[in-house]
Formats: sequence, structure tokens, C-alpha cells
Amino acid sequence: MNPRLAAISWGLLVTAVQVLLPMAVRDRLPDPLATHWGPGGVADGHMSFLAYLAMAVTVWGVPWLAVLGAAVRGRVPARRQGRMFCWGLLAGMGVFAAGMNATTVLANLDAPHWSAARLPGWGVPAVIGAMLAAAVLAGRFGRGAPDPAAPPGRTPPRLRLRAGQRAVWVGHVANPWLGLTAAVAGAAIALLAVLHLAGVVPGGLAASVLPGPVLILVLGLLTSSLSVHVSDDRVVIRFGPLGRPARRIPISKIRSAWSEERSPSGVGGWGVRGLPGSATIMLRGGECLVLGYRGGGQLAISIDDATRGASLINALIAERVEP
Amino acid sequence: MLLTLDLNDARPLHEQVAGAIRRAIGEGSYAPGDRLPPARDLARALGINPNTVLRALRDLRDEGLLEFRRGRGVSVAGRADGRALLVQRARELLEEARKHGYDRDDLIAILEELP
Repeated sequence: MNPRLAAISWGLLVTAVQVLLPMAVRDRLPDPLATHWGPGGVADGHMSFLAYLAMAVTVWGVPWLAVLGAAVRGRVPARRQGRMFCWGLLAGMGVFAAGMNATTVLANLDAPHWSAARLPGWGVPAVIGAMLAAAVLAGRFGRGAPDPAAPPGRTPPRLRLRAGQRAVWVGHVANPWLGLTAAVAGAAIALLAVLHLAGVVPGGLAASVLPGPVLILVLGLLTSSLSVHVSDDRVVIRFGPLGRPARRIPISKIRSAWSEERSPSGVGGWGVRGLPGSATIMLRGGECLVLGYRGGGQLAISIDDATRGASLINALIAERVEP
Repeated sequence: MLLTLDLNDARPLHEQVAGAIRRAIGEGSYAPGDRLPPARDLARALGINPNTVLRALRDLRDEGLLEFRRGRGVSVAGRADGRALLVQRARELLEEARKHGYDRDDLIAILEELP
């Protein structure tokens, strides 16, 4: 079946379940009905029937349309990992929404009043288990053919260094989105501080919320820009607008360098990805400078003008390390 | 951006840096509209004062090769000026000639011999 048609049919099917299941047993449900349970399965939150119906549809409809929109407009389904992710999300979210709906209706069934509804203890673990199973299965069956092999790394042109000449290469890359993320986190911290000083937010709550935005701020700052310097005897990778922290790699440790096209969906996302020995520092898809180590393993860095940087590294290896 | 500096060059450092950047752009590593690495990075890599790099960048802006935009850094405005590149290559050629014992007039004679 056409994947787009399958995704739409699946979405409509889940939406139908979300609406028809509570409608079918409406006479046997209390109104308002219990929608939230505390520890021990005792109901502590309720909603009117219509509000519940609206929530049941929204909880599924919004992620469904979001995934559908991303899949149709973006390039996500072009890669195997993207297809796996989309199908896993669609199936998992669908089963989760329908499962929550079913357990809620089951708990409320024939209860005289919402406070009398009891949620059986197996309900939530069963729904989560079914969600994970559906996500994994759908990801497995929806992933399709493997990606075509990436074009092999380009061998950079040879560069000859002349005596009495100093050659350096500077590469730079910035991702404004990651910078924006850090700015938003910084604004959130400032807002939290102001609210705390004004006495609106108590200290305990502020302290428990703070680690989130601080982590995002630090990671966002570190990965918003990156610069790589190649000079006489080393390659220096500097993170963030302050150029700190910096990682220095002696030229003598590098066997060769080349440039290669890589994308965030191919390496598992943005930031520092992979394990040491096959790591990628990914800020944006496209041209990457790849350093192959003498001890085996490699490090890839997404950076502009990578080919020339690779040329200089190879020239320095030929001149300084293997004269 | 690949920058090469001649260690024996007697010209002021900012002129040498401007020359290196002009050559890098002339060789096509940066197309019009591309952003240059920040001046601070260039200075750090070359081991010189950032103000020297800024002076070189300003010279190239006055030449029309670069443009400065607030908040967007420095980007390439157009193709390297043909004449400026030629002057630079001619200067390098003259230095090369002097190393081999030829002077200006010899070089001009050689040029005139060319078809």
C-alpha cells in the first residue's frame, strides 16, 4: 500500500476508535467521568464527557497530523532511519492514545460516580508495553530498503607547501537554531529568576525546574558554533562562541584526512554523536571534515570548506610527520 | 579558508593577511554570499592580533571584495577584483624572479617575449 495512504488510513482508524469507543458505551459511563488516578488506582481528576471526547481526539490528532506534515513536506522519509522513526511514532502514539482511551472507559464502566471509578493496576504498564511493541514492529516493517551507500569520501587535491611559508586553515560553522535554543533557555532562566525574586515562584520549585534550562543553555551554547584551525603541528577544534572548550589533536596522530557528506539523520542527530572511534560532531548536514587516526578510528566534523582543510592536513602529514 | 603567509615578506602584516584572504577567495574556496570565519578565529590561527586581521578585512571591504553586515559577520560581496589579484600575483612573481637573480627589467623582458 502507498505509505501516505496507509498513514492516513491508520490515523482515521485511530480517530474513529477514539470517538466511537466512548460513544458506544455512553449510557454506562458516569458524567463527569474520572480521567486521572492517583497512586493505588484512586480517581483524583474528572472531566465532562464532551471535554473527554475532545481530549481523546486531540491527544491523537495533533501528533498524527504533525508526523504526517513532517513526512510529506520534509525529507524525513527519504532515509531509512527517518521512515523507522515516523512509522514507530505513528503506531506507538496511536496504540498509546487508543489504549489510554480504552483503559479510561473500562475503569469508568458502570461506575455510579466518577470518584468510584477504579483503575486496575495492570492498565498503565499494559498500555505502555503495547505502545513500545507497536512502535518497534511498525518501525521494523516500515523501514523499507536500506539507504544507498553514501558517496565515498572525496580525496582532497594535493597541496604543496613551500619552504618559508606558513599555511593555516580556518573552518567555521554555525547553526542559528541551536543558538536560538540556547537564547530561549537563557530567557527562561532569567524569567525564573525574576519570578523567584518577585516572590511568585517559591525557591523549592525554582530549584527543581532550573537544571533543565541550564543544561539546554550550556549544550546550546557549546554547539551553536564550531571552528577548526589547522596550523603547523595540530588540529584544534573549538566549541561555542567563546572558543572553549577546545580539543587539540596533534598532526602526528592523524593518518589522513578527507571530506565527506554526512547528515544528522545519518549519524543520529545534532551535537557530538557516536562513540569515540567513530564519532561525528554534527552541527548541520553537508560537508564534513573526517580525520582518520593512525591508531584506527576516525572523527568527523561538520564544517564549511572541509576539502581545503583536509588538503592542508595531508600536506602537513607528508611534510612534518613522514618526511 | 586556507591562508598562506610568506615568512620573509617585508610588507606590513595587514597587507599580507589581506593578500592571503584575497587569494583564498580568488581560488574559489568562498563564493559570493558565503560567510567568512570570524576575524578572531583567523587571528588565533595565524597567531596575530585580531586588530591586524580586522584592518585587512576593512581594506578588502573598501576594495569591494567583502561586505560587513551587522549581526551576520563578514561575507564575500563579489568576485575578487581581477586587477588586485593580478597585482598580487605579479608581486609574487617578482619576488620569485629576484630569488633567481633576475630584476624587474629582466622580468618585463620575459613578459614581452611571450606571444
